[in-house]
Amino acid sequence: MIRVVTLDPFDDKQLAKFNRTLYTAFGVGSEHSGPAEAPAGMSEPLDAEKLLDEVKGVRAYKDDKVLLLTSRKLKDRELLSGKAPTTGFARYGKDRAVLTIAPFKDLEKDFKPIARHALHQLGTLWELHHCLDPRCSMYPPWTPSFNQGDHIFCTFCREKSEQKIRLAKS
Amino acid sequence: MPEGSAALQLQVGDRVVYPNQGVCRVAAIDVKEVAGQKLTFVTMRREEDGAVVMVPEGKIVSIGVRKVASVADVEEIYSFLRSDSDKADLDWKQRARTNLDRMTQGGILGLAEVVKGLQVLSELRPLPTKERELYDNARHLLVSEVAAALGTAEANAEDSIDIVLFPPGRERPKRTAAEFARPGGDEDDMDLDGDLMGLEGGELDLPSDEEPPAEPEEESAEEGSEEEGEASEEGSDEAPKKRGRPPKAKPADEGGEPAAPKKRGRPPKPKPEVAAESAEPAAPKKRGRPPKAKPPEGAAPAEPAAPKKRGRPPKAKPAEDE
Repeated sequence: MIRVVTLDPFDDKQLAKFNRTLYTAFGVGSEHSGPAEAPAGMSEPLDAEKLLDEVKGVRAYKDDKVLLLTSRKLKDRELLSGKAPTTGFARYGKDRAVLTIAPFKDLEKDFKPIARHALHQLGTLWELHHCLDPRCSMYPPWTPSFNQGDHIFCTFCREKSEQKIRLAKS
Repeated sequence: MPEGSAALQLQVGDRVVYPNQGVCRVAAIDVKEVAGQKLTFVTMRREEDGAVVMVPEGKIVSIGVRKVASVADVEEIYSFLRSDSDKADLDWKQRARTNLDRMTQGGILGLAEVVKGLQVLSELRPLPTKERELYDNARHLLVSEVAAALGTAEANAEDSIDIVLFPPGRERPKRTAAEFARPGGDEDDMDLDGDLMGLEGGELDLPSDEEPPAEPEEESAEEGSEEEGEASEEGSDEAPKKRGRPPKAKPADEGGEPAAPKKRGRPPKPKPEVAAESAEPAAPKKRGRPPKAKPPEGAAPAEPAAPKKRGRPPKAKPAEDE
């Protein structure tokens, strides 16, 4: 089950559409599981890794995947090879991801790129690596063409995610 | 043999990389008796899923188990990934063999070479399924080792690799097959024209009915020789070399009979010789079971055997004495 947890207020209709998109992409149920609170004292831009560790009020089962949705900015990560633009963050194979819609206008107007980013983060939770296909949602999200694409997976990534989901269910 | 493996001294708790399996932690080193021999076994537990493998200590080096790369090694990997030097071989067999060696024996640099090579190749054409899987495996192993080396999350390790491979704000370039051409592929002609090599275009006795080469690399070798011939005919050395299958050479003499185009596939059966033509043509072979041999004419015709009955044989009749 995918649980979308909001850190800021969002329109319910848009959230319902967002959940339908996630359900279509992964074939597992997706629902809005209510709001949660960002850790006290955490200022914008939010530290994505810290946020995932310290967020409160998330209720989920062990095999659920939780996507935290926020309209606040996330801090770019400083890595050994450079600065990684961060619109979202997910730990590989774990159960929590965070996604910001700050680079976009809102969930309604920029639905496609936001959904594509959401697929990317949830794909990371299902152990998908970055993909070589620019049409796939697992393509590196900081590339200029990423936001123009559809919220779909390539054949390889789709099959791999289905396999991982099947394994998780069994 | 992987570098540095000769001096590999393992202790419980060490993190090692098992080729093609990923990062493992040494769980135990103990002596066990197997088939009457006492052997020291190193027990390793894969960090990803907890799978356990036991390897005799003497085999550790030959298998290719090595310590996790250092931060300096990872920086070297980044500089290698930044460079534009590595081009995958266009010959798929050669590429598969090289990649297999790199995966098992190449260390972290070998993994980076596989990832980089296949990524660059994918800029020329989409990868086939097997190579896409290989790319995913190599990427997974590279990411997990970089994450272990840097002590960071795998997502960060992957992003740090991909910042190098897919620099932010830039699209991936489109490659052409010419970029993958190996400098060694043109060694045969050494840039010599047909005249210098003492060959005329028409005199080249090349087999024209060769199977089309599967890989462009081989094509280029043939192209070189055929184009040489054409160049010497036309006397234009400056004509740019075209890629792809070259047009067939026109006959030098217009009045002469054009050579019959060679057919592909199985060659036709040799025709019977002239002497055999005068003889009666052989009767066409009949299919099916050959007819039974007829009895010799002089012999009396034997009585036809009673047709065999099918099914169970009849029961023996009781004796009629009663």
